[in-house]
Amino acid sequence: MTALLWLWWQGYVTVRLRGVGIERVLNGAAQAGVALFQVQRLTADVVLARIPARDFRRLRLLLRQAANGPRIHVTILDRHGFPFLLRQFSRRAFLAVGLGLSALALFYLANFVWFIEVVGADAMTVELIKAVVEETGLRSGVLRSSLDARRIEQRLLERLPHLAWAHVKNQGVRVEIQVMERESAELDAQGAGHVYAKRDGLITELLVLQGTPQVREGDTVRQDDLLISGMYYDRQGRRQFGAARGVVKARVWYQAVGEASLVRWEPQKTGRSHRQYRLTVGPFSIPLGRSYPRDNHLVSTKNWQLYLGQAMAPVSWTRINYEEVLWEAVPVPMTEAERTAYELAWESLLNQGVERDNVLEERRTVEYLTDAHGIRVTVQVEVLEDIGQFLGQ
Amino acid sequence: MRPAVRHNLKRKFAQTLDLPPSVVLDQAVIHILGDGEVQIVNHKGLVQYTAACVKARAVQGMIEVSGSELEIASFSAQQMKIRGRIRQVMLK
Repeated sequence: MTALLWLWWQGYVTVRLRGVGIERVLNGAAQAGVALFQVQRLTADVVLARIPARDFRRLRLLLRQAANGPRIHVTILDRHGFPFLLRQFSRRAFLAVGLGLSALALFYLANFVWFIEVVGADAMTVELIKAVVEETGLRSGVLRSSLDARRIEQRLLERLPHLAWAHVKNQGVRVEIQVMERESAELDAQGAGHVYAKRDGLITELLVLQGTPQVREGDTVRQDDLLISGMYYDRQGRRQFGAARGVVKARVWYQAVGEASLVRWEPQKTGRSHRQYRLTVGPFSIPLGRSYPRDNHLVSTKNWQLYLGQAMAPVSWTRINYEEVLWEAVPVPMTEAERTAYELAWESLLNQGVERDNVLEERRTVEYLTDAHGIRVTVQVEVLEDIGQFLGQ
Repeated sequence: MRPAVRHNLKRKFAQTLDLPPSVVLDQAVIHILGDGEVQIVNHKGLVQYTAACVKARAVQGMIEVSGSELEIASFSAQQMKIRGRIRQVMLK
């Protein structure tokens, strides 16, 4: 391998020897001090060999001097190595400069962190973890040498108590944050406490597993009312204070409002379009060409990302198309608007924690907003759910 | 002095002084690496080269390496390295 590297550094040529008795030439060349590499027999009278470029003249002279025996022809098929590369680049100076600059830029950019990934956490916690990590100074574009993995791990565990373990792994331009979340049972270790109502409701079912009930079936309770007390008397009649446990099912009411417009604005293309390009290198973005306002242009982008093998390089090229549009008001049918508003209202109910399967009764009220050309749908649902919430002391 | 006597004397001289016989007797040294590489040091010239057979001259006689897809990885006056699927190395 070292010999081949040295050969590449010196420059070498691939020669084709054609004729009968090539072995004689090879012996002669070796005796004259010409080293041969990767000698391959192609056919009965053709051999390929690699020799140092400076020895080629010597080889040709040898062949000319060898008067006795059949004649052997030698031809250069290819030239390889550093001197030839240098000669090529001397003809294309800008290419060489560009390659050199690219290599320098790559070396320089490789000193920074470009990608931060969180492994082992759910989607909501990922954002939270990234926010905490950002407080420590770790963000896309910081110097790799400025990273203090131990400090980031400590900060994560301090700020996010539901994390059981955190590990920051620096993998070149990518930082992987591995976390392990605590089990929920671990968090609220059941100490002594009471069960309170987490919502207003009408109690329909009460099952006490431990503690003393403070309400009865048919009672109406407000949020934070005491439902099951942790105080109870054991079999020996002694007063105890422990963790109240039980199921308190109640009819609960939820209300949500959804609004929809009776007018829809649709874009009509005028046929005029513009194009802008954008070169992005790490945190820097260089626009080529002017941009157009988005209120009267539809914007579509196409992105080309540079890959180095498996890794994604922080260099991308983006094409942005601007298509000029005029906005036209199109009337929306009443039924469609009502359906949209109803779905929005239900979306809000689902966000409040309502499950469709638990709904006992549903009421819908429709209002027309004459001033705003819209419709408002109010949905009230009655659901059956467990309203008990344990709070430790 | 006859060549056989001179050869015997050289051998005894090498044995007595614990010198490497390859140097004193000018004999070829053959290294075989698995079935993919043969290195011959101190050969006396290439006699035949095809993709199936490489013959080289040595003081001891003829060294014949046979196999398939044979290629001379490096060749100089002192040594040659043969690569390919080596099946047989014979000294004739």
